[in-house]
Parts: sequence; C-alpha cells; structure tokens
Amino acid sequence: MFEARLVQSAILKKVLDAIKDLLTEATFECSDSGIQVQAMDNAHVSLVSLNLRSDGFDKYRCDRNLSMGMSIACMSKILRCAGSEDTVTLRAVDNPENITFIFESPNKEKLAEYEMKLINMDQEHLGIPETSYSCVVKMPSQEFSRICRDLSQFGESITFACSKEGIKFSASGDYGQATVKLAQTADADNEEEAVVVNMQEPVKLTFSCRYLNCFIKAGPLCAQVQLSMSNDVPLVCEYKIGDIGHIRYYLAPKIDDDEEN
Amino acid sequence: MGILGLAKLIADISPGAIREQELKHYFGRKVAIDASMCLYQFLIAVRSEGAQLTSVDGETTSHLMGTFYRTIRLVEQGIKPVYVFDGKPPDLKGGELAKRAERRDEAQKLLQAAEEAGNAEDVEKFNRRLVKVTKTHAEEAKQLLQLMGIPFIDAPCEAEAQCAALVKAGKVYATATEDMDALTFGCNVLLRRLTFSEARKMPIQEFHFDKVLEGLELNHNEFIDLCIMLGCDYTNSIKGVGPKRAIELIKTHRSLEKIIENLDTKKFPVPEDWNYKQARLLFQEPEITDPETIDLKWTEPDEEGLIKYLCGDKQFNEERVRNGAKKLHKARNTSTQGRLDTFFKVLSSPNPLKRKVEDSKTTNKKNKKGTTGKPRGRPPK
Repeated sequence: MFEARLVQSAILKKVLDAIKDLLTEATFECSDSGIQVQAMDNAHVSLVSLNLRSDGFDKYRCDRNLSMGMSIACMSKILRCAGSEDTVTLRAVDNPENITFIFESPNKEKLAEYEMKLINMDQEHLGIPETSYSCVVKMPSQEFSRICRDLSQFGESITFACSKEGIKFSASGDYGQATVKLAQTADADNEEEAVVVNMQEPVKLTFSCRYLNCFIKAGPLCAQVQLSMSNDVPLVCEYKIGDIGHIRYYLAPKIDDDEEN
Repeated sequence: MGILGLAKLIADISPGAIREQELKHYFGRKVAIDASMCLYQFLIAVRSEGAQLTSVDGETTSHLMGTFYRTIRLVEQGIKPVYVFDGKPPDLKGGELAKRAERRDEAQKLLQAAEEAGNAEDVEKFNRRLVKVTKTHAEEAKQLLQLMGIPFIDAPCEAEAQCAALVKAGKVYATATEDMDALTFGCNVLLRRLTFSEARKMPIQEFHFDKVLEGLELNHNEFIDLCIMLGCDYTNSIKGVGPKRAIELIKTHRSLEKIIENLDTKKFPVPEDWNYKQARLLFQEPEITDPETIDLKWTEPDEEGLIKYLCGDKQFNEERVRNGAKKLHKARNTSTQGRLDTFFKVLSSPNPLKRKVEDSKTTNKKNKKGTTGKPRGRPPK
C-alpha cells in the first residue's frame, strides 16, 4: 500500500507545471524516504530530478518500494481538476496497475477521485556524480525567468559568463545582441531578492533557450533559484520545493566543434 | 534487397528493439549513409510529373537534386553525414544481380507493351522499375559531396558492411539505410527513413542490434543463420521456410548445420549445393577498409564550385544553390548541442532489465527440451 497526502495540492500542481513541458512520461520511484523522479527529455539534452521527501508530506506510507510509470500529460490534466485549496492524496496498492488521486475540499464537503492507468516504461537511469562546481549563483527566480525570456528573443542560445563581479547573460542573433549583467548584492538584507555569487574559477557556458524556458516554469515554486556551473559540464538549475524537497534540472551545454576544423 | 521480412519479424518478436524518433533529435550525431541505397531512392522519388529531372542534354539530375537538398536538410539539423559507396559486388551476389537484371529486362518488355497500349499509369510504373544506379550517378554524387564539404568513403565491397564497421569502431553513431542487412553485418544502430522526404513526415526508425538479439534470444552467429534462412542477397533459402518457421528452427537447433540434419527434406527441400557457409562467412568477415585508417573530415562548402557544377550544365537555380551553400556554411559554424549521456553514465534501468534476463534464461532451457519459443512479453505479475 502506498499513500501520500499533501494538504496543499497547489504544490503538486506547480511541480507538474514545472515538468510537463520537458517530459511526456516518467517513472515515479516511491520508497520509505519519499518520491523520486529522474527522467530525460526525448532528445537527452536535459534531465529532471525531482525529490519529495516523505517527511514533507502530511501523511506518508509506503510499505513496498514502487516504481510507477506515469503519463505526465495525463497527470497534469488530473491535477488541473483539483482546487487550489484542496487536499490531495495519492494512493496505490502494491503491484499497482493504477494510481488514484483523491481531492478533498477544505470543508470536506466535496470528495473527488481520479484513477489513472500506469504505463510500462523502460527508462535509462543516469548516474550523476557529486561534483563541486566552479561557480554557484543564487538569484531571485523571477529575475532569472525574465532574463531567459527576454534574451531568447535575440538568439537560440544564451551564454552564461560568471566572474567575481557577478554573472553576465548574453545572446546574439540576426537582429543584434543583448546582454544583462547582474552584480552581486552588496548588503543582503532581503535574502529572497539577493544575488549571491560563489566562485572558485570563472566560467563561460552556452545553453539552449528552449530548455531554459522550460526550466523557468518552476519559478512559482521558489523565490530563489540556484545555478551551479563548471566549464564544459552540464548546468544544474535548482529550485527548492518548500520544506518538502527540490527539483533539479540538468542541461548539457552547447559545444563548439573545432575537432573537424 | 536486404533480408526478406526481417524488419517485420523484429517488429513482431522484439518490438523493444525499434524506437521511433524525430529527425531533430539526431543533432550532433555522425551517421554513415549507404549511398547507393539513397541515390536509388532519389532516382525513384525526386521526379516532376512522373519523369526524372534532367539537364538540357537529357542527363538525369534527380540524384544530384536529392543529394544536395536532403544532405542540407540533415546538416541543418546538426547531423554529420558521411556517405559510403559500394565497391565491387561480392562474387556470391552474382546470382542475385542476375535475377535483378532479369527483372529489369522483363520490366523493359512490359514498358514497351504499356507504351504501345498507351497506358500512362503502367508506363510510369515500369519506368520506375527500370531505375538503376550507374557508375556515372555515383561519380557525380561524389563530386557534388566534395564541393559541399561532406566526406564520403569508397567501400572495397558492400557499403553496408563498411558502414557497420564504422559504427562498431565508434567512428559514427549509426548506419542509415533501408537495407536490413546492415544488422546482419553487426551494425549496432540502424536508422531507416533518414533520407526520406520531409513531406512524408515519417519519424526515423532506430533499430538497436543488441536489443534485437536480446529480443530474439539469439547470438550474432545464430542471427546470421536466421537471416540466410529468411533470404539474403548471397544465396538461396529453403523453400517453404518462412519467417515464423525460420525463427522456430534457429531457436531449436541453433545453427544451419543442425537444422539441415533435422529438417524433413522431403517437405522442405534444401537447395542443391547450398553455399550457406560462404554466405555466412561473408557476413562474419566482410571485405572492408579498416575503420581506424579512415579519417572523417567535414569542411567548408565551396560555394562558387557548387554554382559552377550545378548551375552550368545541370541547370540548377543559382539562387537556390547559393542559399543551400549558405545553409551549409551556417550549420558548420553554429555550436552543437551537447547530450547528457556524454557527461553522465547510463546505469541500466534497475528492475525491468533484470527480469528480462531471467526470463530469457528460462525460455532458453525450454528450447533445449524441444519446445519452441513463445512470443516474449513482460513476465506475468
């Protein structure tokens, strides 16, 4: 038996909004410690790693480890049926064929149940090594979303250049160029609005706008986003999900080919 | 052509070995293209009002048109194509080639008849059957590729074998061909429909050889024997043995030798002097150039050269050719998107795979006892 209850269904709604553009389907691994999802997009350029700890749920029970393949589009549709004040409960039996979503209104007068078929999936699982990154930048997630949206009008990719002073985002295309520089916040009174750069070595990396614009869908989950970068390795873009867990996006950088020149 | 009914057999028995992907997901991949196969496609498909495209003197240009535009389409998606041309056909292919010539003669006759009868539909049909890729076509295509800055390789013998060797050596990601025998040669990844027209909107089919073997529960040598039974270009097959029976036989007996020993030859006459051993050897040790000695280089396109070559006698539209050259140039100078699997190692997915291995073991045991393999699926829960 697996059961997980969240008083705020809004959190789960936002999580789904944050992954539904990248993934069509994903395996949810449920264990005693919580729910985990690791999945790549079809092109294997980006990876979503979602972690919801069991202690973050209002009620959590998982007798046997389960891995449940779910259609993200379908799950997103179901969650749209939940009111934002509703309590949501996920429930499945051991060896499940289906998963049930139960939505309860705050005054307990309305109870809705949605059952979704699980899918069989053969997914590749990636081993992600623990690395220390050359630059770790924390900034307001709204600011990051804005920069990605603005710069993607100029080109297909954005270059992130990080140094002691701060971080510079730039894009260029047929119309011209665009650059946005963010300096490190001098006195961080308000933690949520601060830009903090933690740098060992300067880095410069280029990433595709298409994927960045999917990542920023997680903005509503958290006021701050953390970007971890090292030269020539994938970017990690992390949003905390309240007290319950986090969502991490990995994105492979663009590479200049000079081997053939 | 290729192996008779192999694609269907794989789709039936081992659907997990086939994946469909959109073209745009192949960015950054190097792909070896079976040139003869795709020139043939172009000669058949690139037509206007049913007739091949020609220059002023009536020389065919369909193959150049196809090579030029479809290569650009691949390059624009960030794919790095390398074309592999056939060398001399292996001796064993003589029979197959004679058969093809015969069919062509027949088509010629039918064409004449149709022309006399004035049946336009039939004329077109038989016209297409007469299509043959000649030396000149190949030479012209090579000249064009050179100007486009796309590498090509002359295989000493069969192009599919050379492609497979390139894949095995890790020089390219996959072989693009419609012929399934690239798998028989041991090519790990085979792409079909890569050079199809965009208008057909067909996703690319990706065959993974290791998964094919896993799904069919065969090793490479057994797979080769299976292909010979299905019908390949190099030798005859046993009459009356279709795909279904062929897979049953190979699973029970595990080699052609044993199959012949145990087969009821009255019901299924084995061809006289059946040279399946040579055919098998041809698949196991084909004549190829050592892939390590091959250096693949993609270079800048020669715009003026292209104009001179295509817009002179061949009468291509200059503006379009210039546009094409620009696209080639631009694609060369944009950085390619990296892939996560090059940074992080793929750990095999935990549970389902383990179950599969156990499953195949048990069915193997059953096979030894003489029963036949049942279609695989997930083990019952």
